Amino acid sequence: MERSIRMVTVNIDGKKIEVAEDTTILKAAEAAGIWIPSMCYSDLLEPYGVCRLCSVEVIRGKRSRIVTACNYPVREGLTVNTNSDKVKWIRKILMELMYSRWPNVPVVKEMAERLEVTKPRFVSLERDESENACILCGNCVNICRDVVKASVLSFEGIGIERKVVLPFNEQSETCISCGACAYVCPTGHIKIKSLETERGALQDFYLGPKSAINIPTLQAVPRVPVIDKNSCIKMQTGGCGICSEFCEPGAINYEMKDEEVDIEVGQILVTTGFNLFDPQQIPQYGYGRLDNVYNSLDFEFMLNSTGPTGGTIQCKDGSEPRAVGIIHCVGSRDENYKKYCSRVCCMYALKFAHLVKDRTKAEVYQFYIDMRAFGKGYEEFYKRLLDEGVNMIRGKVAEITEESYNGNKPHLLVKCEDTLIGKFREIPVDMVILCPAIEPAQDAAKIKKILSISQSPDKFFLERHPKLDPISTMTDGIFIAGCAQGPKDIPDSVAQASAAAARILSLISLGEVSVDPIKANVIEEFCSGCRICNNLCPYTAISFLEDKKISDINEMLCKGCGTCVAACPASAITGKGFTDEQILAELEGLLTV
Amino acid sequence: MSEEKKQNGWNPKIAAFLCNWCTYTGADLAGVSRLKSSPCVRIIRVMCSGRVDPSFILKAFKKGADGIFIGGCHIGDCHYSEGNYKTLRRIEFLKIFLEDFGIDPKRLRLEWISASEGDKYAATTLDFEKQIRELGPLTFMN
Amino acid sequence: MAYRTYLMVCAGTGCVANQSIKIKDTLIKELEKKGLQDEVAVVTTGCNGFCGVGPIMVVQPDGIFYQLLKSSDIPYLVEEHLIKGRPVKKFMYIPSEKEPPIPKMSDIDFFKKQVLIALRNRGLIDPEKIEEYIARGGYSGLAKALTEMTPDQVINEVKKSGLRGRGGGGFPTGIKWETMKKVPGDVRFVICNADEGDPGAFMDRSIIESDPHAVIEGMLIGAYGMGSTQGYVYIRNEYPIALERLLKAIAQAKEYGLLGENIFGTDFKFDIRIIRGAGAFVCGESTALMASIQGMPGEPRAKYVHTVEKGLFDFPTCLNNVETWANVPQIIQKGAEWFTQIGTGDVTNDPWGGSKGTKVFSLTGKVVNTGLVEVPMGITLREIIYDIGGGIKDGKKIKAVQTGGPSGGFIPESMLDLPVDFDELTKVGSMMGSGGMIIADEDNCIVDMAKYFLNFTQEESCGKCIPCREGTKRMYDILENISVGKGTEEDLELLEDLSYMVVESSLCALGGSAPNPVLTSLKYFKDEYLTHVREKKCPAKACRQLNVYTIDEEICATVGHGCDLCKKSCPDFAIFGETKKAHHIDQMKCHKCGACYDACNFKAIKVE
Repeated sequence: MERSIRMVTVNIDGKKIEVAEDTTILKAAEAAGIWIPSMCYSDLLEPYGVCRLCSVEVIRGKRSRIVTACNYPVREGLTVNTNSDKVKWIRKILMELMYSRWPNVPVVKEMAERLEVTKPRFVSLERDESENACILCGNCVNICRDVVKASVLSFEGIGIERKVVLPFNEQSETCISCGACAYVCPTGHIKIKSLETERGALQDFYLGPKSAINIPTLQAVPRVPVIDKNSCIKMQTGGCGICSEFCEPGAINYEMKDEEVDIEVGQILVTTGFNLFDPQQIPQYGYGRLDNVYNSLDFEFMLNSTGPTGGTIQCKDGSEPRAVGIIHCVGSRDENYKKYCSRVCCMYALKFAHLVKDRTKAEVYQFYIDMRAFGKGYEEFYKRLLDEGVNMIRGKVAEITEESYNGNKPHLLVKCEDTLIGKFREIPVDMVILCPAIEPAQDAAKIKKILSISQSPDKFFLERHPKLDPISTMTDGIFIAGCAQGPKDIPDSVAQASAAAARILSLISLGEVSVDPIKANVIEEFCSGCRICNNLCPYTAISFLEDKKISDINEMLCKGCGTCVAACPASAITGKGFTDEQILAELEGLLTV
Repeated sequence: MSEEKKQNGWNPKIAAFLCNWCTYTGADLAGVSRLKSSPCVRIIRVMCSGRVDPSFILKAFKKGADGIFIGGCHIGDCHYSEGNYKTLRRIEFLKIFLEDFGIDPKRLRLEWISASEGDKYAATTLDFEKQIRELGPLTFMN
Repeated sequence: MAYRTYLMVCAGTGCVANQSIKIKDTLIKELEKKGLQDEVAVVTTGCNGFCGVGPIMVVQPDGIFYQLLKSSDIPYLVEEHLIKGRPVKKFMYIPSEKEPPIPKMSDIDFFKKQVLIALRNRGLIDPEKIEEYIARGGYSGLAKALTEMTPDQVINEVKKSGLRGRGGGGFPTGIKWETMKKVPGDVRFVICNADEGDPGAFMDRSIIESDPHAVIEGMLIGAYGMGSTQGYVYIRNEYPIALERLLKAIAQAKEYGLLGENIFGTDFKFDIRIIRGAGAFVCGESTALMASIQGMPGEPRAKYVHTVEKGLFDFPTCLNNVETWANVPQIIQKGAEWFTQIGTGDVTNDPWGGSKGTKVFSLTGKVVNTGLVEVPMGITLREIIYDIGGGIKDGKKIKAVQTGGPSGGFIPESMLDLPVDFDELTKVGSMMGSGGMIIADEDNCIVDMAKYFLNFTQEESCGKCIPCREGTKRMYDILENISVGKGTEEDLELLEDLSYMVVESSLCALGGSAPNPVLTSLKYFKDEYLTHVREKKCPAKACRQLNVYTIDEEICATVGHGCDLCKKSCPDFAIFGETKKAHHIDQMKCHKCGACYDACNFKAIKVE
């Protein structure tokens, strides 16, 4: 039954204000610019009304009554006094009660100061000195039950024994780790523990979880939020859905699914990038096992001003590192892992060294094999770092361990060989940054199969000619650029990609393309339809024509390798330029002399 | 007659089918590098070693070749993805037949030589020439 | 079949606990033995109210009242009274040692001044037989309402009668029903609050045990008036006999077509579901009760939106106390006019203008006659205590009357002529409450009693809001300190300040009324508090930590002969002395538990 919203006039502290009927006094006062204190109120929830701090005096005729502003609905002609002596007296004693029980909780202290309560007259036998004490506001229980609809948290105990608990004080299976309770907790009593990684990973730096709907990175294109299915409450329990309430254009669609789109193209540019070698394959470096061992991407994340530490370089416990070790060639130039050089690591490792020197007072130790500073300004940068006092140690690192001297907090120890002085060294550091090899993207083999392009021995995509045609593949119309073709840094990637784009555009603008004339074709009369050739073609250029019962070669796909020509038992396929007659004639010529 | 040939300073005739992308380029490299390779090898360029029809080999033997050398890309590195696999199959199979024809299978050699292995090309051809010399000229019942 | 005599054996919980069922069985056997089973009927009834002298049996139609029976008394009683026709004097009620026994129940002072409306069938019918209820005019009120009155007329009748809520709130029932009626919606509920959590209160229990159909009929009439088809009775689990009788009553009513579809051949249908409580006092509060029925923790909510608008499952709900419902059938049957003849004030224009009808009180404490009484509103406290209660036990001096249980307050002796009604009691700072009345004499310490009540409410606090959870605990801590001699005068000021705050800002009436005992005791008995904080002494010697226990060695040696009882009872091993010789207490070790005082049979232990 629809009820139209009636506007009513209420008198708050002498101010007359018009609000919708049934608005709470708290909200009406807010609209009038009057502040009413509250401790248990949250905009996300139905008013709970347990702290009683928002008590105000409601005057009706000759009678006055103390009610809580957060849940008292206004009616026409209501008169409210939010700051009478009686109200002030009530708030003062309430605050004394709270302050005597939770003297160190910041929100309690702030409110006490604001309400001018300095020394409570009570001694609470249930006094809790901690800064994160639970003040029993009920926000977490209510949000979990009403918004998230998971009902995991609840109150236990009657009266003064009341406390918030998980069922049986154990980790709950119904908890979806949405973090709503931690978000809404005013004292920080509730923390979400990341169970994925116990040590070393940057997730531990998060004070709270990322929201399920977020813009992945600040440089994302298009710069619109995405919803992570696994942490979105609505997709898990059907609750919440608050984001769509805030979205004015109503752009949030929870039903959206992946779409498959078919597009007809003439050319394909493959730029599927690279993967970072997982340093966990080299267990002696301790990645994923020891604290404060990071790979370069982790460290980049930390350096970034939008990252978890806001750009500060800090160890897991928050302290500044006293020494940092940067290890080159983790997995690269290595007989056991990748034999090639990953090209970019030396330079970014030097960049790290420079930034560490710039932002902290830490000593930097650079463990390298060769310093590859091949580009414009690169060598000069290297020299600059030498001047900045970065310690360059030429040698491979054998092992990284965790040590602790004299009961001090543990640090890392890098055991390496310094080949320039011919000694083994053990260098204590607080943080280690590994520069892992650049390897082909995880799905490279899959792409290779789909597009029928080749991989070179190191599994990057094979270019047509390493010197003269690094952007094309053997297959016409398919181009490669960037790290998909081999490790390279940004200027080179840009150059290669531009070249590929230019090549593609030139072909497009041609309208007509000239193709290599070396192609095979089937002589209809000779073909018996045995179909031996159909499966031989690596380019799937041969198909079988059902109506004519002969095989047919797609000249655009055919690359002219001649395998089908050799295989045809009826010699029904000719390879232009390398026909049987031609080859035999050559043989004739060669051998008669 | 073969004895005569041998004594009269006979030089073996070796026909080589080289794949354009790898072995042919490797041979080119050997030449550019001034490496000594066998002069008895007479090269026919094909786009892929998979183009080599076994009938060519037989015809070549019939026309007077003493040895046949086939060079292709290393397995897994074929320019056309899989051509050399087919070559491998055919040549192995053919070698069985050659014996039945009365031709020593050692006269047919299949090598994988990449474009950078000029030295391997040179060494292989020299070795093959030596082998053919030992085997002597091929006699067929005409 | 008509019997010549009916033996009404009281089977209220108190008497049952004292083996009255065994007495009934013995009676039946004895009657059979004597061949009287066709002439004399044995009827188990509900509580007669005079619980201090149970097990009770009343012989009807003579009205002879027998008290303090044991099953061993039965053969003699049957022989004497039923066969030989000689009522047995030694089983009769004796007002005091010197006076003669009073055979007839109607002559006994305890019963004389009572006017029974809610309890009109007590002791007269077997509550487990619906026929007996009907025979005494039961369900005729419902019949009248359904066949002769419209729902609005029913509500109007209740409104005119001036009936006010008997659960403690005193809200005019008719107004509540009228407001509920105006709220739109097809689904609406009526609830009977049988949670009765006040310590020592058993009014509602007695009503249900004696006369469950009165409650059922009341609910039916109310449901008809308000348009409800579903009722709930929320009964505390600690009342097994009441629960059993209620279940039986509902089943029988259903059989008779008085519950269910087409009641009395009309379209009206109604059903009752019983929900049992789980031991929380706070679930007697209406919103907490409804939360409990809904399966949620029993925590109250703000009542700015009344439960008659949004109550159980967010539907309009009318909640009334057991006694309120029990009054309704009579009001409809005999008319509002009749009801207004009893009680105080004038309700013709203002439903709040007076307190009409009767109220059931549980009279306990230091009076001679303890039990359940139903008296007309307006009777004075003095009448209840002295005329009905028989005065203070052991000739002691009365100190105060505590009414309303943990939500009520103390009334000093000077105000004993106060008429008992809702408004008079509220005016002096107490409240009627649900009907508890505890009499305190000179040996009761008011501070201790206030502490007792506060302890109860503090322990039963649900813990949701700060004033009640933290406030009452701090109040209790202060009282505790005072009772062990650590209190100061500042503490008294703080206590008062805090108490007023808790009253004003608590979320529900539990917290809002918890400080009442403290506030009234501070108002009327300030001097007792001052003695506690200034002299660190308890005038009534009830706060044992403030006592000093000494042994009068002369008495101990000459009268008690060093009996050692106190030494054996002392948990602190603080009493020394050889057997047969005078003992003494080592004050350093004594923790003032008073066990020795309780143990000594010779009054040799002195308390200061």
